[in-house]
Amino acid sequence: MPAARRLLAAATLLLVLAGCATVPKDPAARAYYQQTNDPLEPTNRVFYVVNDALDTVLMRPFALAYHYGTPQFFQDRVHNVLANLDTPVVLANDMLEGNPRRAGDTLMRGLINTTIGLVGIFDVASGVGYPAHAADFGITLGVWGMPAGPYLYLPVLGPSSPRDVLGFGGDYALSPFTWFGKGYAMQDFGYARMGLTAVDTRARFLSDLDKIKAQALDPYATLRSLYRQHRESQIRDARHDAPASVPAWYPQPAK
Amino acid sequence: MAATTRRNLLTASLAVAAAAPAALPLPARASTASDTAFLKSLGEQLVAVVNGPGATAAKQAKLQALIDQSVDVTGIARFCLGRFVRLATPQQLATYMQLFHGVLMRSVTGHLGDYQGVSFSIDKSLARDGGTLVYTTVTRPNSAPTKVEWLIDQVDGAPKIEDVIAEGTSLRLTQQSDYASFIARNNNNIGTLIEAMQKQAASQ
Repeated sequence: MPAARRLLAAATLLLVLAGCATVPKDPAARAYYQQTNDPLEPTNRVFYVVNDALDTVLMRPFALAYHYGTPQFFQDRVHNVLANLDTPVVLANDMLEGNPRRAGDTLMRGLINTTIGLVGIFDVASGVGYPAHAADFGITLGVWGMPAGPYLYLPVLGPSSPRDVLGFGGDYALSPFTWFGKGYAMQDFGYARMGLTAVDTRARFLSDLDKIKAQALDPYATLRSLYRQHRESQIRDARHDAPASVPAWYPQPAK
Repeated sequence: MAATTRRNLLTASLAVAAAAPAALPLPARASTASDTAFLKSLGEQLVAVVNGPGATAAKQAKLQALIDQSVDVTGIARFCLGRFVRLATPQQLATYMQLFHGVLMRSVTGHLGDYQGVSFSIDKSLARDGGTLVYTTVTRPNSAPTKVEWLIDQVDGAPKIEDVIAEGTSLRLTQQSDYASFIARNNNNIGTLIEAMQKQAASQ
């Protein structure tokens, strides 16, 4: 076993080293190279091609069947339940980001949607002044000032960065489902949740991804740019959340 | 003598500086308000066309006319070509501009059906980079509301859209990185971009 692991490690290292892009000599080209910050581009592109093939034969057909085979009403309910299961992680990250307003929103969302919303099937909270927002440990690290680092395109998971890989691990550690509940039922629940999340996420990006693949001349670069911009805007939103404002549902003070 | 000249110069430049704001057609604040009004009126016209009656082809023609008069297509095209603008021959640049116009039109008018029942509201507007950033929320049936920001600037004395930023992703920045990467992977040859754009135009 150790030999196999050593072999795997060596193969990974070789792949990474072989996959390093050469830095261009032309100043304008070098500025572009530094701006894209994608030194592992050759390796990343290999994984992009692999993922794209997997997506074409597996994930996209699944997502299409789900999208056209089930009513929109059902899909929305599934999405709400999955989002509700994330509430503890979102709450923890809101607090780590130092956003008491957002943490309050998330707490109320969890309480309202889990009870009146029937374990999250209905998003009642959004309608009464507690809108959803994005929070994960990758965003938290960004709020703390950690740079994203070079672009990563991961097998199966897709666009990422060292910061978001850390974030992925952080969210896993922050989730109560990681620590509480053992046994086959819990295990099955975990797999079902993972599978449903994958299908739900892919289905929500169906038309967007189809458009990108049809219109972009270099879909890899377009996705890279979109992913980075989107993450940065989520971090900006988390950083500039006004923590001392009065909630919309509370009587407004006289100005 | 020299001191007097300097003082005269100083007085003159102060006078010019004081007169300048009055001489400008619109002070900065008023232009934020007028840019917002421009977007509001344009948005209402777009929504009316998309949700209105008529065949798809007629709607597309109407949209095209609206885009031509309200979007700085040339400015966006130059931005998207980035550093390669300086490297392109005048002939290449002219062909590119023409192709880009088609790309933009197709991407706006090609998915009309997706926008049936669309509505929008203006949240706020801020002065930015000499232009105005108007924050809106676009709502479509059966999908979550989308935050869309519009960058508006004065071009030849008229307000024009310079960029559309949907959920934090800028249209022109994304397009620029698509083109830059494509050209870089084809030996920095702008001709290959033009060929690819021509091929794409022919296939749609």
